[in-house]
Amino acid sequence: MSGQTWADGAAIEPIEASASLVRANGGAGRVLLRAEHVVKHFPIRGGLLGVTTIGAVRAVDDVSFEVRRGETLGLVGESGCGKTTLGKVILRLIPATSGQVYVDDRPLFDLNATQLKEARRDLQVVFQDPYASLNPRMTVGEIVGEGPLVHGLTDKAKREELVRELLAKVGLNQSHIHRYPHEFSGGQRQRIGIARALALNPEFIVCDEPVSALDVSIQSQVLNLLDDLQQELGLTYLFIAHNLAVVEHISDRVGVMYLGKLVELADVDPLYAAPKHPYTVALLSAVPEPDPRRRKKRLVLKGDVPSPAAPPEGCRFNTRCWLREQLGNPERCETEEPVFRDVGAGHLVACHFSEEVTPQAIASAAERQLPVIGA
Amino acid sequence: MTVHRSDRPLLEIQDLRTHFFTQDGTVKAVDGVSYEIGDGKTVGVVGESGCGKSITALSVMRLIEQPGRIVGGSVLLRGRDLLRVDDAEMRDIRGNQISMIFQEPMTSLNPVYTCGDQISEAVSLHEAVGRRQAWERAVEMLQLVGIPDPARRAKQYPHELSGGMRQRVMIAMALSTNPELLIADEPTTALDVTIQAQILELMKSLRERNRMAIMLITHDLGVIAEMADDVVVMYAGQVVEQSDADTVFAKPHHPYTTGLLASIPRLGEKRQRLEVIQGVVPNPLNLPKGCLFKRRCPHAMPVCDTPPPLQEIARGHLSRCWLTPAGEPPAVGPEATGELAEAAASALQAPA
Repeated sequence: MSGQTWADGAAIEPIEASASLVRANGGAGRVLLRAEHVVKHFPIRGGLLGVTTIGAVRAVDDVSFEVRRGETLGLVGESGCGKTTLGKVILRLIPATSGQVYVDDRPLFDLNATQLKEARRDLQVVFQDPYASLNPRMTVGEIVGEGPLVHGLTDKAKREELVRELLAKVGLNQSHIHRYPHEFSGGQRQRIGIARALALNPEFIVCDEPVSALDVSIQSQVLNLLDDLQQELGLTYLFIAHNLAVVEHISDRVGVMYLGKLVELADVDPLYAAPKHPYTVALLSAVPEPDPRRRKKRLVLKGDVPSPAAPPEGCRFNTRCWLREQLGNPERCETEEPVFRDVGAGHLVACHFSEEVTPQAIASAAERQLPVIGA
Repeated sequence: MTVHRSDRPLLEIQDLRTHFFTQDGTVKAVDGVSYEIGDGKTVGVVGESGCGKSITALSVMRLIEQPGRIVGGSVLLRGRDLLRVDDAEMRDIRGNQISMIFQEPMTSLNPVYTCGDQISEAVSLHEAVGRRQAWERAVEMLQLVGIPDPARRAKQYPHELSGGMRQRVMIAMALSTNPELLIADEPTTALDVTIQAQILELMKSLRERNRMAIMLITHDLGVIAEMADDVVVMYAGQVVEQSDADTVFAKPHHPYTTGLLASIPRLGEKRQRLEVIQGVVPNPLNLPKGCLFKRRCPHAMPVCDTPPPLQEIARGHLSRCWLTPAGEPPAVGPEATGELAEAAASALQAPA
């Protein structure tokens, strides 16, 4: 993961000539990126020489969604659900097994190397771990300025000025340009990562768990910075995180992933207020609230997430589903894969029985729970 | 388990000081920390990385390694000072009376022994039982913590289990000797939220069943709100606020606590902007004079150059801040009244 930068792109326009504001106002709401049936399987090798493929980890399995210009699409799910892999695949950081991603109607997976370079000017990423994603042997100036320099957008003389501008934009002291990453705190490093992502003046940034390695008091600083930059530069974010409250705060729409599949996707308010997938219900119910007077009866899922190398047949959530249990274990859940369908106002959900997800059903499922300790 | 009843709390930490003597200088990781834990109570210790919450716990267990040293204070377990018992006695207390679970179960379990071996080792170290009995006890414990098919799982190695399962094994091991106090250092931080919910429910059930006290160390205010009876807020090696959970969450006094609570996004509360605490935690080698929070504090005043004492601002509610109990700046001078104002005034007069 270390030092992943877009070192291979082409030139960009200088910051001050940015067309971002025009973008923000002119193109808001139109689709910027469209993922269609994206699949990413990692082969499992075995056999005597370890070259035979004996199976596949189905990290991302037929995922389709759109990201609209200027919005923040949040992506939540537990570890191993494929959210990070999806983020990498749609940037073509790792090759997809099948499917297609259109950026402004250009098929990203079909571009040749030169075209890809050009396309990537608009597609950037901020990684989770600010300790691992910055090259420790490079100064801040070199890290942030590398992209534009390699792209021939700036020369060594002008680079410093550009970098200083970017540092100021992300709230770092401009005089720290010659310092090394280890001289900064976690929050400051994440700002360096953000400055690096902004250096090529992108339209779209994948933020992969950008605040989860940070302390609570620093998290809010970085979240506010991302908010400010979005407004100022008209950026579009895919915001990947496991913290549901953080995702609710920053997102316009939210997608929920489970075992390589999108199981629910909707505007943030309806998704959090009235989730339609039993998994989303359980996820939200599991979040401990920072208010002792609101201790709640929770719906605790049984067991662990099954292995993505051998996901359950039918609905992938059926082995842990509280609703299925409540409905008397209908066979359909085990045999038929639910369609990701619109249940009204663009609220997409992949559950055969999403109509049964009612407040009453949730409350009674929470009541009926078995004790958590044995013997 | 023999339950002693006395008027004294189970654990009293008094003016504990643990310093690290590094090449660059002395880091006062824990600098005069006092709090107590009553029988069967859960005390949540909250603070950011480096605030000394884990070092306090390790000091209680006497697990501080070079270059760190406990340089002062006392840790009374039922009145007996753990900092003054000999190593053999301390080994006996660890595991028997106090157990500890850590954040990352993979690094705290031995990868070359099966889970059952590790739990039965813990059992046989603390009780005179045979191997077979110890193994049976291990399987029993695995069942207690809700691991399905415990007899089979006992024969498996840690790497064969998921993160949640490993944390259950850690808990099973920690509880196998029926401790009176469980120290849980970020027990759910490495886990997913649905698994975290399972572990929190498990800890709640077990503490009820065993009437066990818990020192719960975490940076997650949600977990604290969910579990804790009392809350201790730490900042830069000191306790800055302390009270029962309801008071700390509803009426925080210290600006750091107030800032922390305001800065976290909460489910169902969509706000345009999050409040922030400006700046960063001070460098432990270069702490500010006076109040350690003053450089980040929206209320910073001249009196903050003098270290504020940890004062009772309401019954059972302690705060290390010069603000009056109502949150007003203190009046300093001859007209000032009240304990805090007097302390402020005398602090200003005292020679540095």
